Amino acid sequence: MKSSHSFSMTIVGALMLPMLASASAVDTPKDWAPPGGKIGYVLTNEISWGVRETPDHKEECPDGFNIGPREQFAELFPKDGKKRTLAETQLKREAEIWSPDTTPDEFPFHEATGKYALGINLDGKDSPEDFESDDGRKGIDNQLFRVVGCIRNYRQEGELGIITTKWRAQKPFNRVTFELTGVDSLKNDPEVTVSYYRTLDTLLAGPTGNYMPGGSQRVDARWGKRFIATAKGRIVNGVLETEKFDRLLVPEDGMGDPAINIFRTAQLRLKLTPEGAEGVLGGFVDVEQWYYAMNTSWATHHAAYGQASAASIYKVLRRLADGFPDPETGQNTAISGYLSVKLVQAYVIHPEAQSSSVAAK
Amino acid sequence: MTLVSKKSGLGTLERLLALCLVAVPVIAAASGSMSYWPEKPIGAKEQYETAPMPPGFQIVVTAQEGPVFADARGRTLYTWPVHQLRNGPVGERKGQPSCDKTIYTVNAGLMSPYPGGFELPEVATRPSCVDVWPPVIAAEDAKPVGKWTVAQRKDGQKQWAYDGYALYTSVLDHQPGEVNGAISGATGEVGVRRPASAPSMVPPQFKVATRLTGRALTTIDNYSVYASSKDQADKSNCVGECLDDWKPIVAPAYAKPRGEFGVIERSPGIYQWTFRKQPLYTHSGEPFNKMYGSDVPGWYNVYTQYTPKPPADFMVQESPTGLVLADKKGKTVYVYMCADDALDQLACDHPDSPQIYRFTVCGGGDPKRCLERFPYVPAPKDAKTDNALWSAMWIDPMTGKKAKPDQPGVLHVWAYRERPVYTHYRDKAPGDMTADQWGEFYGYRNGYKAFWLRTDFGGRE
Repeated sequence: MKSSHSFSMTIVGALMLPMLASASAVDTPKDWAPPGGKIGYVLTNEISWGVRETPDHKEECPDGFNIGPREQFAELFPKDGKKRTLAETQLKREAEIWSPDTTPDEFPFHEATGKYALGINLDGKDSPEDFESDDGRKGIDNQLFRVVGCIRNYRQEGELGIITTKWRAQKPFNRVTFELTGVDSLKNDPEVTVSYYRTLDTLLAGPTGNYMPGGSQRVDARWGKRFIATAKGRIVNGVLETEKFDRLLVPEDGMGDPAINIFRTAQLRLKLTPEGAEGVLGGFVDVEQWYYAMNTSWATHHAAYGQASAASIYKVLRRLADGFPDPETGQNTAISGYLSVKLVQAYVIHPEAQSSSVAAK
Repeated sequence: MTLVSKKSGLGTLERLLALCLVAVPVIAAASGSMSYWPEKPIGAKEQYETAPMPPGFQIVVTAQEGPVFADARGRTLYTWPVHQLRNGPVGERKGQPSCDKTIYTVNAGLMSPYPGGFELPEVATRPSCVDVWPPVIAAEDAKPVGKWTVAQRKDGQKQWAYDGYALYTSVLDHQPGEVNGAISGATGEVGVRRPASAPSMVPPQFKVATRLTGRALTTIDNYSVYASSKDQADKSNCVGECLDDWKPIVAPAYAKPRGEFGVIERSPGIYQWTFRKQPLYTHSGEPFNKMYGSDVPGWYNVYTQYTPKPPADFMVQESPTGLVLADKKGKTVYVYMCADDALDQLACDHPDSPQIYRFTVCGGGDPKRCLERFPYVPAPKDAKTDNALWSAMWIDPMTGKKAKPDQPGVLHVWAYRERPVYTHYRDKAPGDMTADQWGEFYGYRNGYKAFWLRTDFGGRE
């Protein structure tokens, strides 16, 4: 863990940047292979939980948006002069958040709908509840979109859209990096290996706050040991699509409130360039963990800004869960969902390299 | 190169004795667990500056907060500085004590999105602010001394204040050195009382941060301070390439040794601070408030004093966030935090306070469900500790209140600062921390926080 080493690698990376830039932006090659067949991408932007937004939201939310904790509370407990206790009002509502259930909701819930959604065909089937992608792929599994698509907090106008990207970039807990190895071509390669790490370094930022390729990221083999995962993938026409990661943990630290989302299986579909990648990280998200990670990351106060009522969300989450049935109850325990993400190129420094650098001193 | 002490004259024996005060924590991983405390208690306490005080007051060095002002009986003194919450401020402004005999019956609506005006729990027996926080009354003819002043209370009495803030004691403190009126971690969205800290004896380049592991020395701008096990008393062996990664904390040429801080001359005209004879450094490139340098073999954070080592039923566990206290099975330990939403912000995190808040977030109001989801950390029936922080108590889990040993269904449980500690049913593997921030307002207002010993990768201390 040599921070000075990290800085020197960042400098090296920055010096190499013009070479990357000249290879792509200035003189875009038709094909390109990264040196040594390796290229890393560090996650910088968590755009949304796989929400495809249309400008007037009529396509996905024809009935409008859902109401949140503040509005629900006002409906349940109007200012009518009646004396009420804290136990039967605020504490009752908080109890519903921290001990949720699947009884019918007192409030109508507007699910996102329509023909199209972001994502991947995770199960290889084209079922009635599936969507179609904008580029014509059928059988897109994205039930989480139905849950959060009409909640302001999860749209670009909401707190998640405004703040989460900032946190994703700022908080060291959140730093995750993919490394592709065995890459013969960034345009077409039938087999590459994709490894996933939590990494230790700050992002390389430009003068306007943009995140730049060419930085370095040291693998966190100690505190981040549990995050390490690997899957095979292929690149077709510049798009990486992986096979399934058995399990992928995505850290999410908001206001100093670290949580981890669990993808029970996960796949990547990313458009690659030498400077960055963009697309979706998706799979079957553990419902209970997603729910409690949401609540430990978003107090009712902040959730209320974006009309995200946890107790209402839980009921829909459980109803629409579409994967990993519990062997005893048969109830699904995971839901198909995605993170829409942006990444920039980074050099991945493995522990062996870190220790050999120390030994060399 | 020989680096010698600016204040010379120490003999060999004195140097050896001085080195005995250097606490090198053992942080070697063994079977996934580690210790964060010195193997043998060193007993060194933080030194403080002598401050002018009115008669009848003293400074007591407490186990977690270090030096605090106390009354003649040794009871810790507290202030309640004004704190801005989401829907308005709580606490007291300088010279304006507001804690009085009012018994609030409804919540104040300070916590968005919930409005005020609802009847508080156990309102018939709810104490007033002064019942819980007795004011430190000053005599009619009391005169200001140094930072100590006299504030006028609305009830006509005079009250001692320090640095402008009115002073109180806590009914939860019984012995000198107890700080049971304070909370154990960050305050978050709660208007909490704070112990009135006495000034630490540190040079202006340094300050001391209270952590659950002890009083950590940092620079004034919040960078962790380190020492090396390769150094000797008043002698730095960090030269050459070592200086690529470690930056000696340079003392001004006019700096003089004071208390446990000394100065050595690294090279002609270049001076370095020492603490208990240990040359002091920062870790080059390390962001502030981080402790990454302690992962480098031979380097460790410098503490003015450690908190007492937890009982043997606990261990230290690595997690993706950092180091957390765990039970003997490796399950993350949580503390419960609570303050109600009345204007006087009375604590509800103690077994003597209303338990409905905790039952709300741990079990939807059901104590049985709470016991399943947030079980207490059991203590042996003969459990004893030698410090004021850790204790064992009998609890009736169905009421959440203290109980007698012969009551049916009672549990003997570990407590930190007289609050039981818990584990969580969703944590399956060592290092899981799924209930950190569980409850209202990220666990600060009414909820659970992991017992963090180190949170380099997230969280608040």
